[in-house]
Amino acid sequence: MPDNPYVPIPVRVQNVRIESDDRTLRTFDLAFGDDSEPFEYLPGQFCQLSILGKGEAAFGIASSPTERESLRFTVNRVGTVTTALHYLKEGEELGLRGPLGNHYPVEKFKGQNVVLVGGGFAFTTLRSLAAYLLANRSDYGDITVIYGARRPGLLLYRNELAEWEKRGDVKVHLTIDEPAAGWDKAVGFVPALAEKVRPSPKDAWAVVCGPPVMIKYTMPVLLDLGFAQDRIYTSLERRMKCGVGKCGRCNIGPKYVCTDGPVFSYAELASLPEGF
Amino acid sequence: MKAGKSQTPSPKSQAEQLRETARMLLKEEKADLVVGYERGSSKRRARPVVIRDEKDVDRLIFDNTCGPSLVPFLRKTLRAAKGRDSKSQTPNPKAETSLRVAVVAKGCDGRALVQQVAEGQLKRDQVVIVGVGCNGMRDSRRASSDEKRDASCERCRYPNPPVYDVFVGEPVEVGTGDEFAGVAEFEKLASADRWAWFERELAKCIRCYACRNACPMCYCEECFVDQTKPLWLGKSAERPDTTLFHLVRALHTAGRCVDCGACERACPLGVRLGLLNKRLEQEVRERFGYTAGLSMEATPALATYSEEDKQEFIL
Amino acid sequence: MSSSLRIAKPDLDQLVSALTSRYQLFGPVDVDGVTVLREVKSADELALGAALDGPVKAAFFPQTETLLTYDGTTSEAPPGRDKPTAVIGVRPCDARSLLLLDKVFGTGKYRDPLWQRRHDDSLVIGLGCSAPLETCFCNSMGSGPFDAEGSDIMLTDIGDAFVAESCTDKGERFLKTAYKSQVQRPSQADLDKAGQARSKALAALAPAADYSGVKTALAKLWESALWDEIALGCLSCGACAYLCPTCHCFDVQDETAPGTQQGRRVRIWDTCQASLFTKEASGHNPRPGSKERMRQRVMHKFSYFVDNFGETACVGCGRCIRLCPADFDVRQVLERVKAEGRRTKDEERGTKKDVRHAG
Repeated sequence: MPDNPYVPIPVRVQNVRIESDDRTLRTFDLAFGDDSEPFEYLPGQFCQLSILGKGEAAFGIASSPTERESLRFTVNRVGTVTTALHYLKEGEELGLRGPLGNHYPVEKFKGQNVVLVGGGFAFTTLRSLAAYLLANRSDYGDITVIYGARRPGLLLYRNELAEWEKRGDVKVHLTIDEPAAGWDKAVGFVPALAEKVRPSPKDAWAVVCGPPVMIKYTMPVLLDLGFAQDRIYTSLERRMKCGVGKCGRCNIGPKYVCTDGPVFSYAELASLPEGF
Repeated sequence: MKAGKSQTPSPKSQAEQLRETARMLLKEEKADLVVGYERGSSKRRARPVVIRDEKDVDRLIFDNTCGPSLVPFLRKTLRAAKGRDSKSQTPNPKAETSLRVAVVAKGCDGRALVQQVAEGQLKRDQVVIVGVGCNGMRDSRRASSDEKRDASCERCRYPNPPVYDVFVGEPVEVGTGDEFAGVAEFEKLASADRWAWFERELAKCIRCYACRNACPMCYCEECFVDQTKPLWLGKSAERPDTTLFHLVRALHTAGRCVDCGACERACPLGVRLGLLNKRLEQEVRERFGYTAGLSMEATPALATYSEEDKQEFIL
Repeated sequence: MSSSLRIAKPDLDQLVSALTSRYQLFGPVDVDGVTVLREVKSADELALGAALDGPVKAAFFPQTETLLTYDGTTSEAPPGRDKPTAVIGVRPCDARSLLLLDKVFGTGKYRDPLWQRRHDDSLVIGLGCSAPLETCFCNSMGSGPFDAEGSDIMLTDIGDAFVAESCTDKGERFLKTAYKSQVQRPSQADLDKAGQARSKALAALAPAADYSGVKTALAKLWESALWDEIALGCLSCGACAYLCPTCHCFDVQDETAPGTQQGRRVRIWDTCQASLFTKEASGHNPRPGSKERMRQRVMHKFSYFVDNFGETACVGCGRCIRLCPADFDVRQVLERVKAEGRRTKDEERGTKKDVRHAG
């Protein structure tokens, strides 16, 4: 990170592909410019992607720090900046500021079981976490992934999910909202699937990422299963600008999502009245 | 009054009559709430107050410190009462139809209310207009005495609201003279001098939007300054964008502005662009024969067209 | 080692020249009856008598500041500065605000280099407040009309002259450099006048209010209807935030010169009262109404800032009261908060009592 936290470093689009069947999501693999130092980061952190002339937007890093060739981001097209990002082609340049924010407490997870619960396109940092855990497999106990989307075409990283399903050292449970042709796995919302899977809270940590409504209904499931509030983590979002705790925009109570977060434990959130 | 002695009761002040009227409206359930003014942070200032209970009626005042337009506060009160201001509120559909809010209306505010009805922003039967005659507002920040009034008050020709449900006190005599005299004086200046004056005023602006938010006619849910598709102007306080903001706001309020002066009064740093609004008011009156805030039935000038409209700028 | 000098008012230019030769100097200037902070080159531009309407933070955290310039896909940080910044005629409330802003910009995981390049090596020449306004409540916020906190040099107006006292080593060094020779020391009469000015000012202020219980009270009032009520009296403009010496929220915008690929990324003052402040691209807004935004403002200044930096983000300057178009009074809000907090506490206590009796 250069001395001036507001100046982005140049990165190049190494690879871009359409991620969702409705083309609203694109996944980018970004390579550092020749003069830039690749940086170290941990799952859960985010970057501000910068398009000079349009602005910036915050994205969770989807690659694992063990995947050193590039940084991966999945972008949902909703506004000016994300539209400009979607227009980028391979080889084109953009800017990046990061790694920003805190990370999932992977040190605490060591030797323990980890349950990843994701919904929709919020799965990005969970991909980072899963890939990281799998790359350091012997450091962790059971790894369980519970992930759902509205329909199959909206699940992120479908090829990788299929590969994980084939591995013997990670349990993958997928679900979609309504039955679809060719889908032979679970049907129903993510909280329902979590209830069915019944991950054990013993020596386990849970990480939940998804739209607010999914988190709202998943938390009680985990708490009922016996997960303690300080063993459940989530990643929050707020409108951001500076990303470094100065512009005052992204606070939830006294915590800034960009520096004190975006990763928070459920116990921490319970003490913050502003919540979701 | 002692029995047997015939005494003329001392005439009640306008403020006392106002309180009595408010008390009556609440008591007789002719209004659910009363929006008025109360004494503010000093004796030179007044602030809006929402009275829900007869016991609070004594907080109401009306004097030459009551400058701000109550209309933006009335709108907020109505929204809140309908449960539409915040996610923590429950929408109250009954309030949509049955709520009645009384509002203290000096001349300009009364005109603003009429214009709001004409523009479909307010339902006539939701407001109980409590008219008061106004002798002008003292310049609250810069004047040390009562002598100096706000610029819009000096040229005011509508001290009494044109439409009201009840009138408190005596009507105020309408001023004479040309309300556009200040505009005429300004237009005598050479073009470069006029622009220099505007530049000097615009240099003071910090884009806080106090003027816009205090204005009874600036009620757009999304103001043009906040639109991004397209992006009409930048958000910084630098000259080109600031100039554009004020010019466009003046155009958006042309033919709607009632010259209440709330904008100039609201500005924390003394930007004085009211003359620009006055000039546009004059233009609309001359071209279309329309004056804002006088009739709830008349179609606002810029909301319609007539084949008689002058088109010398095209043809 | 602190020294004091007597600077006759006609000789103020000597101080100003000494400042402008080393610093980019800002001071209060009258613009059509409103006093704002502007860059000054000579003493006769200064309007030291009236209270500053615009905030002093503008000299260190300008309303519009370039973060970087760009040309196509390359960008550059703004260049360094020739001279450090000095401000003269800073009332104690504003001087203190710079310390609070420094906690935000100058500390933490990231340091703000734009703030640092203006604030580092800066010099603050404070001016004691001889005539506090009705809206001043610095004494309720841990400061006072002649408080030296945040000033390197403090000027006291004694009528035909100023008594200048150094408050920090930096201030001392500057006075020694600026007044190598011809140093005039204040006489005992001068010092007595200065003392009288201070006492008079303190007496003119309303007695300090006790806001020590505000943070605790706020913790109980998240769901309170108090916020709905208070929010009705606010127009949600940016006057208070922009004029507030401790408000630091900003927006970031890219501005490209039309028809080119060149432009700049600027930061500009923003306000948490703006409806778009927290509105997300999806359309979701965690603070959709003026109630939530008003609660945020009060909580940030009187609770969250205390959690994060140990101090209230308010210096009692009163601009938010006297310059608010709706005459919103934060002092009244704090009193209401205290009262509501007490009421909630009494109710809780009452409940406990009942349980005991039932037992």
